Amino acid sequence: MKLLAQRLLGPATLIAMAVTFVLGLWVTPPDKVQGDLARLVYVHPAVAWVALYLSFGTATIASALYLWKRTRSMVADRVAHCAMEVSLVFIALTLATGSIWGRPTWGVWWAWDARLTSTAILGVLVLGYLALRRANDDPELRARRGAVFTMLSALNVPLIHFSVQWWKTLHQGATVFTSNRTLLIHGIMAWTLLISFVAFSLAFAWLLRARYRLELKRERAMGESLEVALSRRRAEGVH
Amino acid sequence: MPDSTIDLAPVAPPRTSSSSRRRSIGVFVVLAAAILALLSQGLLHSLNYFETVDQVLAQRAKIATSTIRLEGVVKPHTIHRTSYGASFWVTGSGTNEVFVVSRGTPPQLFQANIPVVVVGHFRSRSSLTFEGTQIMVKHSASYIAQYPSRVKAPNGSVR
Repeated sequence: MKLLAQRLLGPATLIAMAVTFVLGLWVTPPDKVQGDLARLVYVHPAVAWVALYLSFGTATIASALYLWKRTRSMVADRVAHCAMEVSLVFIALTLATGSIWGRPTWGVWWAWDARLTSTAILGVLVLGYLALRRANDDPELRARRGAVFTMLSALNVPLIHFSVQWWKTLHQGATVFTSNRTLLIHGIMAWTLLISFVAFSLAFAWLLRARYRLELKRERAMGESLEVALSRRRAEGVH
Repeated sequence: MPDSTIDLAPVAPPRTSSSSRRRSIGVFVVLAAAILALLSQGLLHSLNYFETVDQVLAQRAKIATSTIRLEGVVKPHTIHRTSYGASFWVTGSGTNEVFVVSRGTPPQLFQANIPVVVVGHFRSRSSLTFEGTQIMVKHSASYIAQYPSRVKAPNGSVR
């Protein structure tokens, strides 16, 4: 069953993405104010959802599991590392799609408002996490420092989420998760938005799985090369 | 003959090498500098990105001719496109309103009844004319179909 789900993950992601793009580009109507520019709503919020909540959330939970002695394992560290890498990709996509959307709607590629700046800071923090991992040679020290760093960086996520409510920003407020729970998007547009969230969530799961498998292979290859080096040393001892 | 005196048993690595510590400190220094640079641009000077028309008029004397970001809704039937840009009135709540003369091409979505943020300053200490250098459109978070009630006629045309 588990194997079947894993095998179906790739095709399911592809189908969900295709449905999102067909609905988003051809079936949904243009928006009353933004016209066809509003079609980016089927990409940008879903990408941001994956970047901030799914990827970074997975990394935070895995880091917490690593720091807790009863659940400490290198699997948790590996998951945190892989999720952070995927998060960086999606943070970059969030900033890029937001910028592409911002230019024709706001009139600027970038604005130093609280939402955009705090998201950029999260990107820098993820880069810092990856740099910190490379700076440490000891696997346990690397995992511990990385986990602590991730937990501290996670404090920025609620700041990003509530920035549009706490401060006056150029970035629009919430469309789905509004404070009075009123959905501000209607009909087929709302359904397409929901499908886009499913599609990009599946893409995250697929990417995380692929990255995790790659990391396992890399570690195995490193172990094997160490074995080869040791056997060469032994052979040197023979002659 | 194999040399049995060679010890090939794995040895424990040193706790933290000095180069590893130096690299970690380097990462933290670069990271702190990058975050401080972002904060200084974005949050430390302007946690709130703009001032509303009501806020600006309430602090009119204090603002004088300093550069600010003014937010208000574009008043209908007041937009005049000029050779250098556009002039229009922005309204706050109630009767509060400011006349804006802006240079440069307004964004694609610029229109009546849309909230805008204008970067600029008042013409003089007592003037209520705001000279803008940049207009940004602050669109809403709601998405409504452009033609919610369109129907297809028997001949296939859309009305």
